[in-house]
Amino acid sequence: MARYILKRALILIITMWIVVTATFFLMQILPGTPYNNPKLTQSAIDQLNATYGLDKPVLVQYWDYLINLLHGDLGTSFQYQNQSVSTLIGQRLPISAQLGFQALVVGVLLGLWFGAVSARNQNKKLDGFLGVISTLGISTPSFILAIVLLFVFGYQLDWLPISGWGDSFSQTILPTLALAVTPMAITTRFVRSEMIEVLHSDYIQLARAKGIGEDQVIQKHAYRNSMIPILTLIGPLTAGLLTGSTLVENIFSIPGIGQQFVSSIPTKDYPVIMGTTIVYALMLMVMILITDILTAIVDPRVRLQ
Amino acid sequence: MKKWQKWTAAIVVVAAVAGGTKAAGLWGGNPSTDKNTLNYALPADIQTLDISKSTDSYSNMILGNTESNLLRMNSKGEAAPDLAKSYKVSDDGKTYTVELRSGLKWSDGSKLTAKDVVYSWQRMVDPKTGSQYASLASGVLNADDIMAGKKAVSELGVSASGNTITFQLDHAMPQFKYLLSFPNFAPQKQTFVEKQGDKYGTTAAKQVYSGAYKFEDWNGTNGKFKMVKNDNYWDSKDVKTKTINWQVVKNADTALKLYKQGKIDRVSISNTPEMYSANKNKKDAKSAAVAAATYLEYNQDTNAFLKNKKIRQALNLATNRSELATQATGGTRDAAQSLVSKGLTETTSGKDLSDYVKPGYTYDKKKAQQLFKEGLAEVNQGKMKISLETDADSVISKNTVDYIKQAWESTFGSDIEVSEKIVPFKQRLKDSQSGDFDVVVTNWNGDYADGSTFYDLFASKDAGYNDGKFTNQTYFDAVKKADNTDATNASAREQDFKDAEKALMDDANINPLYSWKSTSLVRSNVKGAVENPVGLTLDLTYAHRK
Repeated sequence: MARYILKRALILIITMWIVVTATFFLMQILPGTPYNNPKLTQSAIDQLNATYGLDKPVLVQYWDYLINLLHGDLGTSFQYQNQSVSTLIGQRLPISAQLGFQALVVGVLLGLWFGAVSARNQNKKLDGFLGVISTLGISTPSFILAIVLLFVFGYQLDWLPISGWGDSFSQTILPTLALAVTPMAITTRFVRSEMIEVLHSDYIQLARAKGIGEDQVIQKHAYRNSMIPILTLIGPLTAGLLTGSTLVENIFSIPGIGQQFVSSIPTKDYPVIMGTTIVYALMLMVMILITDILTAIVDPRVRLQ
Repeated sequence: MKKWQKWTAAIVVVAAVAGGTKAAGLWGGNPSTDKNTLNYALPADIQTLDISKSTDSYSNMILGNTESNLLRMNSKGEAAPDLAKSYKVSDDGKTYTVELRSGLKWSDGSKLTAKDVVYSWQRMVDPKTGSQYASLASGVLNADDIMAGKKAVSELGVSASGNTITFQLDHAMPQFKYLLSFPNFAPQKQTFVEKQGDKYGTTAAKQVYSGAYKFEDWNGTNGKFKMVKNDNYWDSKDVKTKTINWQVVKNADTALKLYKQGKIDRVSISNTPEMYSANKNKKDAKSAAVAAATYLEYNQDTNAFLKNKKIRQALNLATNRSELATQATGGTRDAAQSLVSKGLTETTSGKDLSDYVKPGYTYDKKKAQQLFKEGLAEVNQGKMKISLETDADSVISKNTVDYIKQAWESTFGSDIEVSEKIVPFKQRLKDSQSGDFDVVVTNWNGDYADGSTFYDLFASKDAGYNDGKFTNQTYFDAVKKADNTDATNASAREQDFKDAEKALMDDANINPLYSWKSTSLVRSNVKGAVENPVGLTLDLTYAHRK
């Protein structure tokens, strides 16, 4: 097991290096300068480039960046003058993480419940209804739902706040729901098909034949066995939440990292682009690693591969 | 079934708790009646509170309301004394002598002196600071050499003696007084700046304030903060508002809803034509001039067709500016009548500068067709194929190029083929600067309330913003005269500007499209806010609720 984890961690480091290198050189293709002021003349740009070290050859800049990165220094933003990238990310990431985590928990729990109910009522009306819900959930982008929720619950009914973060828990409800719908829908469909398969398996037949009550059969045998494959879903779901949060953060004016990432690209804010890409990539890979390790623990066959 | 009933019960409980937090009043009542507070929204994050390095208009809005400079634009558009008691300009226009008020203090209670003013100017031009607006100081004695690293900052022509500050300029600059009202040139306290080092201006606590309000609760990234009355401000007795609450609301629709709920006192409605037309007739809708203009630049350096004067004149005559303003911008902008934007400043006789200098742009389809034919014959290269470039910043930019393409193609028929080129902002900027375009839509935001902020754009063929690289000696001479011989004679300068506009129209070197304005819904019980076309666009120093 230890060897398996070590091997995976090593792959993670190499992948990170590739991500850093690819992003760094792709960024060079972006047009223009990282400076806000569109009125700068060429001589003013040259002076600023000298001040910020952007007049050095690209390879030197790359090497400097790698060295600084190894020292944990992500640099200083161009758009947010004087603001260090690690502070920017450090203050924004927890907000996005909380939002993403809430959405994941709500989405997965609802999905487990809906999926199980669907499976037990296979081909009945309730199953059909939940099928429609999950299809809608998968096909509706979270930002559309965000606007609908904002309009209905925030504006028309005025039940919940429509913007901001950090004043009260109620501010988190609408964005969480908007983001939770996709994981909810995916989990529902996944659990439903897994459950149906498990419910038709031999050991469930046996359990029923032994005379165990239906609730017991579901809880003790069916649920647990259909749970394992769901672990593998967590990785992709996290990726979806990371990218989906960007627009939702914008709509509800949440000072998260998604918005930062998007706005750094057209402004060519090199250090922020690099910093957020690294953090995103790292989060995603760690999530996948954790899922893989969990799967390996639950299912010993995985380790042999 | 029991199981899913249990679950349903759990969901109901969660919903009840959520509803309860709202009922418990965690989300407040209607704040639009509290006389001590005002509530505003910013459409973007604050980027920095570093006075020398701030570049975006929202950071500048916070700085302009919390930091005072020597002068401040008043409701009549004049640069009136703020931290300065008075100022004098020498007869040759090259020396400004400013007397500070006595007993000025920073928000931390320490003395604000003439040295703080000098330090701020020096920090601005110091290449080590890396300020993007340093070039605004160009014209102050030795500023250019200091920026280029050729002279020490101490040689800058700004000096302090007691309560007096003296500014020495290379040449007379009629616009110089406006710099004395800019947030970027507000005084900075050297010991404070140096103590904060790299972290200066990165949070509300890492800045010290000289304006009517102190800034609080901003940690560098959060979206909710406030301005609190600064009792150390020299005129604090006339500042009636105790607290101004701010929140960042990036989505324009969300902001509009907050305004309608009474949670903010002002919201912009000119972001999209749809939002504008749905709200422009409301009785609390208010428009203010913005010192910005949009015009087409013709590449007269490399494009054979556009080098031809008749073709350029034809293109200008085929542009129906009032229809463009109503159709492409949905009325969010006004049709252009000159290069200079409307409402920038007034002439000595009290007329709007744009009205005074307007050379008489017209729409004349017949004449356009005639000139175009003649021009094509002169060029003798067959059908005219050109690209029309803009950046994808807003829906209005796209509508604009759509409109112009259709207008030109319907006027000149099969003799012209216009292709649209819509690119990201930075790409457009790069193409403009390197001359890699045929026709490009350019937006220009003025820096100060003086005509030269527009006319200096094309001061020569190689001027930094003459992207089309045109040569128009009559225009160049008029601008030169305004900047030199007539620099201290306001009415003669106005005539120079008028001559420049006429020369520009006669040669059709550019094509003015529209003049900007900003329209907002403004709470009717808020009085005393000043909206400026340039610099600090919203000044809340004396704003209060009636």
